[in-house]
Amino acid sequence: MTVLSMLEPFLPQLLLVVFALMMPALDYIFKDKRILAAVALAPLVGYAVMLVAWTLAGVWEPPESEMSLIEVDLFSGLFALAFVSVGIIVVLGSPESIRQERNHGEYYALILLAVIGMTVVALSTDLILLFVGLEVAGIASFALSGFSKREKRSAEAATKYFIVGGFSSALTLFAISLFYGVSGTTAIADMGPAMEAMFSSFDGMDSVGTLATVMILAGLGFKVAIVPFHMWAPDVYEGSPTPISALLAAASKNMGFAALFKIFLLGLLVTKADWDVAVAVVAIITMTVGNLIAVSQTNIKRMLAYSSVAQAGYILMVLPIGTEYALAGGLFHVLTHAFMKSGAFMVVSAMGVRGVGESLNDFKGLRTRSPLLALAMTLLLLSLAGIPPLAGFASKFVLFSSAVYGSLDPGPSWLIWLAVAGVLNSALSLYYYARVIKYMYMEKGPEDRISVPRLTGVAILFAVVMTVVLGVYFDAVVELCQQAAGGLFNP
Amino acid sequence: MLEGIPVLSLIIIMPLVGSLIAFSLGRRENLAKWVALAFALAAFVLSLVVAFEFVVDPYSASPGEIESYSNGYQFYESHVWIETLGINYMVGMDGISLPLFVLTTLLCLLSIVFSWDTKKRPKEYFGLMLVLEVGVLGVFVSLDYFMFYVFWEIVLIPMYFMIGVWGGPNRDYAAIKFFIYTHIASLAMLIAIMAMYFEAGIETFSMVAIAEESVGFSRNIQFAIFAAMLFGFGVKLPMVPFHTWLPDAHVEAPTAGSVLLAGLLLKMGGYGLIRVAIPSLPTGAEDMMIVMAVIAVVSIVYGAVLCLAQTDLKKMVAYSSISHMGFVLLGYATLGELGIVAGVFQMFAHGLVTAVLFMMCGVLQHKCGTRLIPKLGGLAKKMPIAATLLTVGFLASLGLPGLVSFAAEFMVFAAMFFKWGMWVFVPIGAVAITAGYYLWALQRSMFGPLTDRIDTSHLKDVDWYEGVPVAILIVLIAIFGVFPSLVFDRIWPAVDFALRAFGGG
Repeated sequence: MTVLSMLEPFLPQLLLVVFALMMPALDYIFKDKRILAAVALAPLVGYAVMLVAWTLAGVWEPPESEMSLIEVDLFSGLFALAFVSVGIIVVLGSPESIRQERNHGEYYALILLAVIGMTVVALSTDLILLFVGLEVAGIASFALSGFSKREKRSAEAATKYFIVGGFSSALTLFAISLFYGVSGTTAIADMGPAMEAMFSSFDGMDSVGTLATVMILAGLGFKVAIVPFHMWAPDVYEGSPTPISALLAAASKNMGFAALFKIFLLGLLVTKADWDVAVAVVAIITMTVGNLIAVSQTNIKRMLAYSSVAQAGYILMVLPIGTEYALAGGLFHVLTHAFMKSGAFMVVSAMGVRGVGESLNDFKGLRTRSPLLALAMTLLLLSLAGIPPLAGFASKFVLFSSAVYGSLDPGPSWLIWLAVAGVLNSALSLYYYARVIKYMYMEKGPEDRISVPRLTGVAILFAVVMTVVLGVYFDAVVELCQQAAGGLFNP
Repeated sequence: MLEGIPVLSLIIIMPLVGSLIAFSLGRRENLAKWVALAFALAAFVLSLVVAFEFVVDPYSASPGEIESYSNGYQFYESHVWIETLGINYMVGMDGISLPLFVLTTLLCLLSIVFSWDTKKRPKEYFGLMLVLEVGVLGVFVSLDYFMFYVFWEIVLIPMYFMIGVWGGPNRDYAAIKFFIYTHIASLAMLIAIMAMYFEAGIETFSMVAIAEESVGFSRNIQFAIFAAMLFGFGVKLPMVPFHTWLPDAHVEAPTAGSVLLAGLLLKMGGYGLIRVAIPSLPTGAEDMMIVMAVIAVVSIVYGAVLCLAQTDLKKMVAYSSISHMGFVLLGYATLGELGIVAGVFQMFAHGLVTAVLFMMCGVLQHKCGTRLIPKLGGLAKKMPIAATLLTVGFLASLGLPGLVSFAAEFMVFAAMFFKWGMWVFVPIGAVAITAGYYLWALQRSMFGPLTDRIDTSHLKDVDWYEGVPVAILIVLIAIFGVFPSLVFDRIWPAVDFALRAFGGG
């Protein structure tokens, strides 16, 4: 066995690394910075095409290798597809958004590195590699959030994100070391049985296990911004360049969920009875707090940030329900959320490119200023609120119905409250989403028209088309999600 | 004549195509109303064809006799939509959906004519109206829960915009309140649907298939699901105490919006109860019977009393809707064939009558600039046609024999009498109040000395595009008042079939 064959499963990641390292050099060569974006787009599109092709062909057999650290399965494939899609949307929207800034090469390199880190998280079957992935993505995102160097709030965002991120990494790492202590392994799939054996032979070990569970939930909770670890999100999303906000809200958050799903549903399922009620309460608090605070926001990016917090609460429902169907719903919502949220941020970015601000008032009369942007934003927001026949409705439908399903015999009947909390929150969220729509369509604003920046427009179009298509016809996607979930539960 | 033609889908698609064309008209905004008229007319004509082709009593016919027929549903279509979850595109029509379906195409057509002089953003206005029609039509013929819910929610968006963009001074508040209030109700219904789906455990959202399983659910489950559905449908109906969105929405909505809201959207709630909740969950319905009856009577009486206190003509009509829709719920609450048939017929009757009333309120607002009763007076001298139409509308609404509402209300009372005896005098008392507030309002606004609180020197009578729809409706009110059996005969067998879970109905 050669080193090369060991690296074979990492081929897409290696390709991305090569492109990432080329970027700064290309920055010197090309005056037209759009070429950089095109070059960065190439491996992302390639990866996406490969993922889709594998899925269509139905081959998810991992390449033969001795490495037990990663597993190329449908679960990782769906997450990778979400990350890469957001990557494509972000890169497409970037050249126009950051044209005032310098160092474009580094910018695209960092985006590619962040995507690499995220895909590694989705692929890894081992806590150590998972942590490496989290760090790669994390460090790249810290740098990206501070990319608008002349803007104070961007620097503030980066500092805040760096400190919070470092703290959460420390928590995660500490939790991993504790898990190693109580189970003697870092392989996620082996953790459960090993912990059970340990608990039965040593007194007091289960409290260490509980401590580790709490810490991993906190550490990853920062990444996905669940309450009370969500404080950084609005500030960072607001301060970062808007495409980067999209990357953080739509992709980085989903990375956290990839890790949470793997650790909790693969590794910690045996101790589910210890943590399910607590996580359910956290989920309900997260969606409620996120939606309640979003109502009072006047900055659209902050509003979308809090809406992301709420969406994290919805997805977190998967853990306490803990069934295959729930995980399928979670995966589906991860996918749809990636498109709707990044699309919504790109609309904000498109307006920023044309010199329009980010406050709610700037959306006044958008209908007359740019009918297409207004229509796109309306569709994306209605989808986020879960109005049929859009993607957000379809995925919430599967997700919430899994709570109802779990609550029927023989499951614990309290799970129904997750569904009730979910739908009540959806209704609450409709208030602030509909308010933006009201500003766009029912209020009078400035009369001057704004044209849609071309590349950003393509990115928005991609997001909107996916949002509509996944809402009207989601048969194939749900089936894939169910397969992926089944793969995780019964490898 | 309709063999092999997916006629129901065709009718649903018609306004959808029309709306897409209307939205994409660009600068030729004035064409929008013609486009809307053409497609609404086409849908209406097709629905008439359906009505004439409809087999009155399909249940006694042998299965092969009627084309595209399934489980009592005619013009049946079924296509796989989301196979993984057991979701199908499934439409079909029975005697309960037929009157409401035709009512929908009719009221949409007439509302479009009535809005002929809309100058504010016409292409969006007419486009949204057609989208609304798609949603309502879809609700009335869906036989799959998922689809039913999708259409149900589609209705909210155009109505939100209609209130929010073309509404009165307080439209922001009314629009958002309407949207969120009814959305919460829909979500309660959604959870009920999910619970039915999983409890049935047959991996299909088909209403017919689930109903076969759900009649056997345990008492507690039936009760819980029925309660959620009653809330979900009851908010739309609306039933006291969940009615508060309605006066706001109605008063602020543009006239055509109010017509569609009262004439069609309220019917969705009543339709849902009889299509889904009652036949699928018989024990749940029996357990909730008294609750429904009490809520219904309270809605009837309370709505009527509120009407007495109103000074705004349109608000009065809005509150009268609460009262009159209470009759629908009261009819259902008897859980007997007569009561439920009467309830469905009352929906049809109320749809026709309330459309007249809201249109006439719109005319007065348009011509006089106000709908406040104290500011009006003696208008019959200046606007004889308007006064006549309004008078007939009021008389129809208060249940004058020979007009359509009378037949419906009479049957509800009969059904209630058989079930609960002398209690029937409580809602009958409310009818006396109804007559009181209508006649009192009529006297103050139309008759007596001519008002000097508004400028009446240039007052014009109704325009053609206002008068014609109202006149058509009044003719229909009279026809169905004299020959209610035209509709009854179609509702009856369907209700009879739907109630088979109650042991022969």
